[in-house]
Amino acid sequence: MRLTALAALVVTFAATTAPATAAWRGYISHPLGFAFAAPGELKVENGTYRGAVAGARDTLVYRFVDDDIEYKAVVIDMSDKANDAATLLGEAEYNFQEGKKVLMDTFGRVDRQYGRKLTIDLPNNAGRATAAFYFINGRIISLQATVLPANGDYNTPEMGRFVDSITFFTVRAEDDAIELPVRSK
Amino acid sequence: MRRWMLAALAGSALTMAAMPAQAAWKSYINRELGFSFMAPGEVKASVGTYRGNIAGPRQTIVYRSVEDNIEYKVTVMSFIQAQAEGANILGEREYMFQDGKKVLVDTFARVEPGKDSVYGRKIVVDLPDKKGRSTGAFYFTRGKLISLEATVLPANGDFASPDPGRFIDSIVFVLSRTEPGAVELKTPKLE
Repeated sequence: MRLTALAALVVTFAATTAPATAAWRGYISHPLGFAFAAPGELKVENGTYRGAVAGARDTLVYRFVDDDIEYKAVVIDMSDKANDAATLLGEAEYNFQEGKKVLMDTFGRVDRQYGRKLTIDLPNNAGRATAAFYFINGRIISLQATVLPANGDYNTPEMGRFVDSITFFTVRAEDDAIELPVRSK
Repeated sequence: MRRWMLAALAGSALTMAAMPAQAAWKSYINRELGFSFMAPGEVKASVGTYRGNIAGPRQTIVYRSVEDNIEYKVTVMSFIQAQAEGANILGEREYMFQDGKKVLVDTFARVEPGKDSVYGRKIVVDLPDKKGRSTGAFYFTRGKLISLEATVLPANGDFASPDPGRFIDSIVFVLSRTEPGAVELKTPKLE
């Protein structure tokens, strides 16, 4: 009895001292055709993107912040220029790393989709970001995880876990994945 | 005066005798396919084949020359009906080029400035079994997958030669930027 009580106390103590990180949940967008997993509370925002070839574009951003790591799924509609997919994707990848220290630049390959994965250090010690870029159904889909200085664990596996969670075969999404709104309110 | 002239003539003759016999680099253009490039040697056109999981089986148009044991090749494939899949088709081609090989360079490629930019990839690999070193540049533009590959063969052995880079960096998609006097390339007919 004493031992059981002691064990319960130890477990409770361990739970209270563990870092307060949220559970990872699955998210899915059937209209946009992709799913991913992320921790923290979802916020839907509008953003902007500009490229010399792409021009000025509105973006749809699904954003999460947990344990001072920012997770973003960015959707850029390029349907009017979908025939330039290869160049538009290359431009987005290039813009992401331009002027920054590149730590990794490698193939991304998910569900018959070829893209690119990059890791960069942000200037002025603003953190480290890992991103993946894909072009599908006339849109650039980019997952970007940024470890902020307040977290400081730049080798955290959470960045890779996020960018590697993407799937374009929605049957592979988790059964309880939350449907993403297509527009921010 | 006579001695100076003789000395100048002798010097020129010695210099020309000592230089390796290399062909001049010429500019080539295909207006129908929408690109130009430069290469040494005699460029010949042929039809080939390609297969990718995403691309499927494709006939290819190949422009090829060999000079000083370096092979220069431009391969063109049409995907007019699948242009929106261009990013995937390009990614697959790049992946296949380096799959199973030692990759020395894998970096961004960009041709033409500003809004005319065409983005692609430049990759350098060592071929297995010491078969040489290959430099490739890959682009997907206007419905076509265009690959430039320069392979330094073992018989040449100068794997750091600047000639592969000169070749792949010569590609032009805005034809007004092509050198005057470029040789017009014919487009072989596909079955």
